Amino acid sequence: MDDLYSLKQDFNKRGIFLSFSGPISQDLVVEIGATLKKKMKLEEAGKTTVLRVFSAFVENAQNILHYSAESNFGIIAVGSERDCYFILCGNSIDNERVEPLREKLTKIKSMSKEELKQYYKEQRKKGPDEDSKGGGLGFIEMAKKASRPIEFDFRKINDLHSFFSVRIVI
Amino acid sequence: MENLKLDATKDTPEINFDAQQHLIEVRGKSYPENTAEFYSPIFAWMEKYLSQLKDEEVTVNMDIIYFNSSSSKVLLDFFETLENAAGNGSNITVNWFYEEGDEDSLEFGEEFQEDFNSLNFKVVQKES
Repeated sequence: MDDLYSLKQDFNKRGIFLSFSGPISQDLVVEIGATLKKKMKLEEAGKTTVLRVFSAFVENAQNILHYSAESNFGIIAVGSERDCYFILCGNSIDNERVEPLREKLTKIKSMSKEELKQYYKEQRKKGPDEDSKGGGLGFIEMAKKASRPIEFDFRKINDLHSFFSVRIVI
Repeated sequence: MENLKLDATKDTPEINFDAQQHLIEVRGKSYPENTAEFYSPIFAWMEKYLSQLKDEEVTVNMDIIYFNSSSSKVLLDFFETLENAAGNGSNITVNWFYEEGDEDSLEFGEEFQEDFNSLNFKVVQKES
């Protein structure tokens, strides 16, 4: 039982106030999203901030729904530090998705706000890539709304899968 | 032509498309798991409606509190469909409603306003 307490202490230390680990569903996205909004409104966060954090939560959670290699399993956490909120998200992906995703995120990470705005418009007009289950716009949208560049990491689990994690700061 | 009315759900907006009054309204949130599945009957209705339209004035009220990125693509397609009809001579007014203090919704509205010149596109702050 000590282990669970140390996990909680670790969350506290990192400023994480909401977390989920397990198989996610659209119903859970709706429910956890509503809880997140309520909690932020109690803290009197501004309207744009609440909507941006909520939006980053939904995009990440729906990425897990669409792309997790482990039947909808993923980890998602929301926290605050100083004057920002952050969203952490992680899930397993097929190894062959690693390089295209790394390429995409590296490109997005290097862009200025104005470039992101143009890129978003271009991609939205063009429509999603073949392997995309949504609009292919989620990460561009998150980067547009973030106050710092997106951070991400890939760790190889075995010959089939890697663990992908991403951190968005609003 | 039949009207199209759908109640809002936890993750899809209320749809109120009235072919007699020439009123098209979308109200609420849009972040379904499968965006294409939800919107395909809505686009089917729109295409049929717009093909029958002559020079009647059409009002489109878009009052969407939140939409995810795949719904954003749908919105673009939706306005493109309207823009094409307007380019063929239809008289279409779009009201894009945003809440005071919601910078991102205001920006989305302004960008759509810039892109769709054949529509009478208005960005309107909601009364609180």
